Amino acid sequence: MLDRENTIQELHNGFIKEYSGIMFKELAFVKKINLRGDPNDKKFLSTNEGALQSTLPTKPNTLTYNNNIKTIWLGPNEWLIADYDNNNINDLFLKLQDINNNEESSITDVTENRTIIRISGGKLFKLLSKFLVLDIDKALYNESSVAQTLFIKVSILIVRNHKDNELPEVDIYVNRSQANYIYKLLVDGTKNLDF
Amino acid sequence: MFLIKCPYCGEREQSEFSCGGEAHIVRPKNPPDLTDDEWADYLFMRKNIKGVQFERWNHSNGCRRWFNIARNTATDEILKIYNMGERPPKIEGNDLKTPSGEPEIGSGNISTSFKKE
Repeated sequence: MLDRENTIQELHNGFIKEYSGIMFKELAFVKKINLRGDPNDKKFLSTNEGALQSTLPTKPNTLTYNNNIKTIWLGPNEWLIADYDNNNINDLFLKLQDINNNEESSITDVTENRTIIRISGGKLFKLLSKFLVLDIDKALYNESSVAQTLFIKVSILIVRNHKDNELPEVDIYVNRSQANYIYKLLVDGTKNLDF
Repeated sequence: MFLIKCPYCGEREQSEFSCGGEAHIVRPKNPPDLTDDEWADYLFMRKNIKGVQFERWNHSNGCRRWFNIARNTATDEILKIYNMGERPPKIEGNDLKTPSGEPEIGSGNISTSFKKE
């Protein structure tokens, strides 16, 4: 395996930083696969769902979860598969590659495209609402909610991790080149959370 | 700034979208047969209507899908959102009552200025 470095230097080697009760962690090397295909094609759905052992979410801005693998809705014919354990993802990728070896669907390894900033804390939604054009409380209302939106000028994907009775925790998927910028803005935003 | 209801993601702020310009412009079938003027007309000339205009929009910072919008360019009122490939809808009774479509009295809700059927 290549010797790779985290994108955000302050969070290297899995370091967790805390600012004003908000915890930051970078999950730099979570394996990610982009899957595209026609959701009305029953064969496409059944074969891919069989390989993933979970359903492909067809409802906008939702995800499904099985064995630490999240299948996230990106568009009506596009999904992102993220393996948080990095265990069997290579086998899964090969399996999906076999299934989608045709002109109607496609599979791409997009691991290196984005990094994940994991943020948690009681005032998390208050912090995020400083930067987003989206009503975050409404967008992440359900436990299986995800949202694609703008963070200042940067395109991001937000995935809700917590259950209703747990401390808020989200994963922000962002391009590696812009991760440091976003992290610094978030840290800056924690300074006056009490107002 | 205005809100756009993406056919997939729901209501989102305009900054998440990008406008692809006028909709329903058909590419000529035989470009080599066209004169330079006709080709330039197809490529560059747009109507730029003050009133109801049909436009293509893309939810570029969301689901990245294209769709069509019928928008009143004077008031930014979105009258219809419909899928790519559909024919433009008929929209009547949305003529501007004032020079720029502003409310006739005061600066209240513009919807009070128009009588919708």
